Amino acid sequence: MPPLRLPPGVMATARRRLGGTQGARFWRSLEELAGEPGFARELDGTLGRLPEPDSPGRRRFLQLLGASLAFGGLAACSGPPAEQMVPWVSRPGDMPAGQPRFYATVLHDAGDVLGVLAESREGRPTKIEGNPAHPASLGATGALPQAAVLDLWDPDRSQAPLRNGVASSWDVFAAEASDWRARFALDGGGLVVVGGALVSPTLRAQREAFLRRFPGSRWHAYEAVGSTQAEQGARLAFGRPLLPRYHFEQADVIVALEADFLGGMPGRVAYARAFAGRRRPEGPHGMNRLYALEGTPSLAGAMADHRWALRSSAIALAALELARALDVAALPASAPSGLPPAQLAALAADLVAHRGRSLILAGESQPPEVHALAHLLNQRLGNAGRTVDYMAPAVPAEPEALPGLAAAIRAGQVHTLVLLDSNLAYAAPAGLGLDTLLRQVPQVVHWGLHRDETAQLAAWHLPASHALEAWSDAQSFDGTVAIAQPLLAPLYDTRSVHEFVAVLMGETVQDGHAIVQSYWRTQPGDDPEAWRGRVRGGVAQPAPPAEPAVASAAFLHDWQPVAADTPLELLFRPDPTVWDGRHANNGWLQELPKPLTQLTWGNAALLDPQLAARMGLSNGDVVALDCAGRRVEAPVWIMPGQAAGCVTVHLGYGRRHAGHVGDDLGFDAYRLRGARAPWIAPGLALAKTGRRVALASTQDHFRIEDDAPVRELDAAALASGTPLRQPPPPSFYPPQPQGEYAWGMTVDLNACIGCKGCSIACQAENNIPVVGADQVRRGREMHWIRVDRYYAGDPARPRLYHQPVPCMHCEHAPCELVCPVGATVHDSEGLNVQVYNRCVGTRFCSNNCPYKVRRFNFLQYSDLTGEALKAQRNPEVSVRNRGVMEKCTYCIQRIERAHIAADRGNRAIADGEVVTACQAACPTQAIRFGNLHDPGSEVSRAHASPRSYDLLEELNTRPRTSYLARVRNPNPALGDEA
Amino acid sequence: MSQVFHPRFGFRARLALLGVLVLIVGGCLAWRGMTGDPHRLGEPVAQPVPFSHKHHVGDDGIDCRYCHADVETSAFAGLPPISTCMTCHSQLFTDTPMLRPVVDSWRSGRALHWNRVYQLPDFVYFDHSIHVAKGVGCVTCHGRVDRMPLTRRVVPLSMKWCLDCHRDPQKYLRPRERVFDLDWHARDQRRLGLRLVRAYRIDTARLTDCSVCHR
Repeated sequence: MPPLRLPPGVMATARRRLGGTQGARFWRSLEELAGEPGFARELDGTLGRLPEPDSPGRRRFLQLLGASLAFGGLAACSGPPAEQMVPWVSRPGDMPAGQPRFYATVLHDAGDVLGVLAESREGRPTKIEGNPAHPASLGATGALPQAAVLDLWDPDRSQAPLRNGVASSWDVFAAEASDWRARFALDGGGLVVVGGALVSPTLRAQREAFLRRFPGSRWHAYEAVGSTQAEQGARLAFGRPLLPRYHFEQADVIVALEADFLGGMPGRVAYARAFAGRRRPEGPHGMNRLYALEGTPSLAGAMADHRWALRSSAIALAALELARALDVAALPASAPSGLPPAQLAALAADLVAHRGRSLILAGESQPPEVHALAHLLNQRLGNAGRTVDYMAPAVPAEPEALPGLAAAIRAGQVHTLVLLDSNLAYAAPAGLGLDTLLRQVPQVVHWGLHRDETAQLAAWHLPASHALEAWSDAQSFDGTVAIAQPLLAPLYDTRSVHEFVAVLMGETVQDGHAIVQSYWRTQPGDDPEAWRGRVRGGVAQPAPPAEPAVASAAFLHDWQPVAADTPLELLFRPDPTVWDGRHANNGWLQELPKPLTQLTWGNAALLDPQLAARMGLSNGDVVALDCAGRRVEAPVWIMPGQAAGCVTVHLGYGRRHAGHVGDDLGFDAYRLRGARAPWIAPGLALAKTGRRVALASTQDHFRIEDDAPVRELDAAALASGTPLRQPPPPSFYPPQPQGEYAWGMTVDLNACIGCKGCSIACQAENNIPVVGADQVRRGREMHWIRVDRYYAGDPARPRLYHQPVPCMHCEHAPCELVCPVGATVHDSEGLNVQVYNRCVGTRFCSNNCPYKVRRFNFLQYSDLTGEALKAQRNPEVSVRNRGVMEKCTYCIQRIERAHIAADRGNRAIADGEVVTACQAACPTQAIRFGNLHDPGSEVSRAHASPRSYDLLEELNTRPRTSYLARVRNPNPALGDEA
Repeated sequence: MSQVFHPRFGFRARLALLGVLVLIVGGCLAWRGMTGDPHRLGEPVAQPVPFSHKHHVGDDGIDCRYCHADVETSAFAGLPPISTCMTCHSQLFTDTPMLRPVVDSWRSGRALHWNRVYQLPDFVYFDHSIHVAKGVGCVTCHGRVDRMPLTRRVVPLSMKWCLDCHRDPQKYLRPRERVFDLDWHARDQRRLGLRLVRAYRIDTARLTDCSVCHR
């Protein structure tokens, strides 16, 4: 839907409507809230619009009609092709045909490490599941790890070594590398390696060997989105680099100082599980209370009981005020943060009342002093050692790595620069000018998955093996080390990072398996059995014990907090889906609506509604962002809940050499990023350009006509125990046949953090195609489970809600009544099934579905020709063609697999035996699935909870998918609205 | 008044009508021929090696599961790897020209491509293991392979044919221990079948759900 122009008076209209008795309590966009006249008309069209042809004449129309009939007839005139069967020559061990097998391995993504079980189908990795034994996963995943499998099969992957853009070979490279070795053997001064976060112990050992071998050489670890500020903060507080490990399960009161521990921190999957575990009012320890102070809405902020929008630069001031209220001595003088003193006092009192059971944490976007202050406050409150402990990083961060590299290049001191999948020409702050400086380096060697912006400048580009093709190891946020094992031999002529470094150093052992194994031989307790156990279980080394750490207040003397005095400041954030740009060529992640904005296929500059109204801007208007002489043009997105005076841009877009999917989308926010203060840039100037861009946002798509799609309870309502669900009224329709099982699902809105891992997991499991930005604008995205985002309250500081919506599998399904060909019918276990080979594409069902969960293949969305992509698909799910309706099946293939296994053994399917793809991926276990006939099953118990309710209950469709209402736990001293 | 139509017109009209009829019938036949299964019912399918089930099963008495080892545990019965052939054929008939492709495949490590005889329509997901576990005999769908010198398809594999059994499984069920016995016949199939439906806990109401076979 094209964004609508927001008149300057929208805020006033919105406030008036909210204040009125019949004002919509929940709203999805400002346009909807303001009740613009055009809104309803635009909405009518979102349900899949017909293509608009250039109004052909009558004759042309008849010609096309005749031709399509003839070709349609001809196309049907072919039988199925004769199939061939190709057996093994000799079958490896125990590999039964047609059965999925799971291998424990580990994925790492910009420093975030997750132990996973990768599913293999006849040797092809098709799906990622979490590894329950790995403490960073606990069986769950999330959107980014789910999409890793598509990166493996990406047809744009780099396939052969290139020398100055011309195909070459690894042998030629090895020969040239031996010349460099001779040159740098005595003095490695001109040799610099830049790689990503050093999470692999084997790579760390290789790095040490490298630095010994070439004295004077350097090896920097650079992540555009790293944890440098956090580590520097720990250095200020403890005098040495330490990494905090949070224990949310112990915390009753949490204060997040712009810390998005649910969406943007290493360890977020485990943190989300621990946090959500304390959001269940039925739980034994009661609910926690989260205060979030942030400049731009985040996933953690959306879950907060008290979310206080403050300018990012004022959060340091608020932290100081909080410290003052907690009686910390010798604090530096600071300007007021703008937070009302009553709120601050209530927060301080809440923290004091929960000594040892509270937690204060700071986000990477805050300066080191705020991190240090958080450590100090945790210590004063007795939290250290309980809700937070510390461990030493394996390699201390180098905040000055890139500026130092830029200076060295400028001084002509760098001769050979080796880049380990580090895209410096794109992802370095523009203030350093590295994209031009790289051209001055005589020899740039780039090893990476894609021929990206940096590879274009490099003399050598060497293709990298994907994580599912290589042996490696990785250390997660809590220090646990796991071994990564390959699921298949490299598809192309590629090498893993360990193999590449071995080639570079001219090692005799250049096989990845041998390199990783030889590192683990040096570890205590090694024997062949131990190695097998380490690989098989997915955990090689448990987390180290906590380091003793005493925070000192000395840093307070040197801290001169700066007041936020410029009218506008620019905030940088990693993109929720493409992150720092590394996933730009992943179609699944591009099309996943970004949590909170619901934007797809691009980024935008987020503005608060007042600023937008003042400047007369609406969604999609292009503005020029000017910051310290750096200028970028960007479309605007109005973000309710954004702090006044803050403009947020997301990194990761504007890629020029990402691949066919990711090129030329959005704008490049790195062009605005300065070398210092990488997260906040004060002194931003904003100017209208008069141009407009059609952004592809899904926030108004698939609207449900429900006044209260999300229900919320307060403590009193919860205590009364009155069930939300009314007994269903009588129905004219006959009851559906009742089989042995009645499958049902429950989604706990109190646990859902809106990460959208479920959407991507469903896409991977069910062969769901990607449609592209143009089709998304027409409301034709295909996700079977969407996550709706609702606002409630004042647009300046709204409450945020997430609601995953799969097919409801109604017992009295409206879709079934209108299908003229019986393509959507009920089965005896309550599934509303879609029979693709019967469907003729009338779309009556989708029009009659009140939940708007049906998806139609308007065009041939599934790529039937791309060979690499075929290999990713789940062989147990049909690939749909053009003209066919589809929707959530409750993962019928998984139900059938469990059915067959149980029926073979003449037993009943146990509770928990069927796990849907969305349920498996969910970090917070918000989704539960099972048999509603079994009163003891987890889903039945959730269904019986007083929090349980159905969407559009008044239609008496009797949905099998139900929801558990959200419960808030506000501070009684502050009231509900603060 | 003169005749409106010439006397020869009747003949021409009949000829034209016949032509239209021939065209329609021909079209239908051609369409059927083009859209039919690649191999006709009952027609032996050519293979790179003229493998004879008659010889291996009928004459030698090898059990089905010796080669189709996954049939009790997996959706696919499993085509034997060449190594299974070589358990005997590394000693027997090693130099016959007929076996040449098998021996070559074993030596070179290059897989053999067999032509599929039982080709299921698209959108159908069939599972061998559950059928075997519930007492559907091999012979019920695959016929007397012990009498087939070259393997051929003996059932139409149409949805009607599948449903014939899914609606009335008692017509075909046999005791589990007789599943692989090609020569076995029930004395009173109806009584036995009804008993087995109960004994094997077959939910007959569910067997005709779309979701059982289609996903």
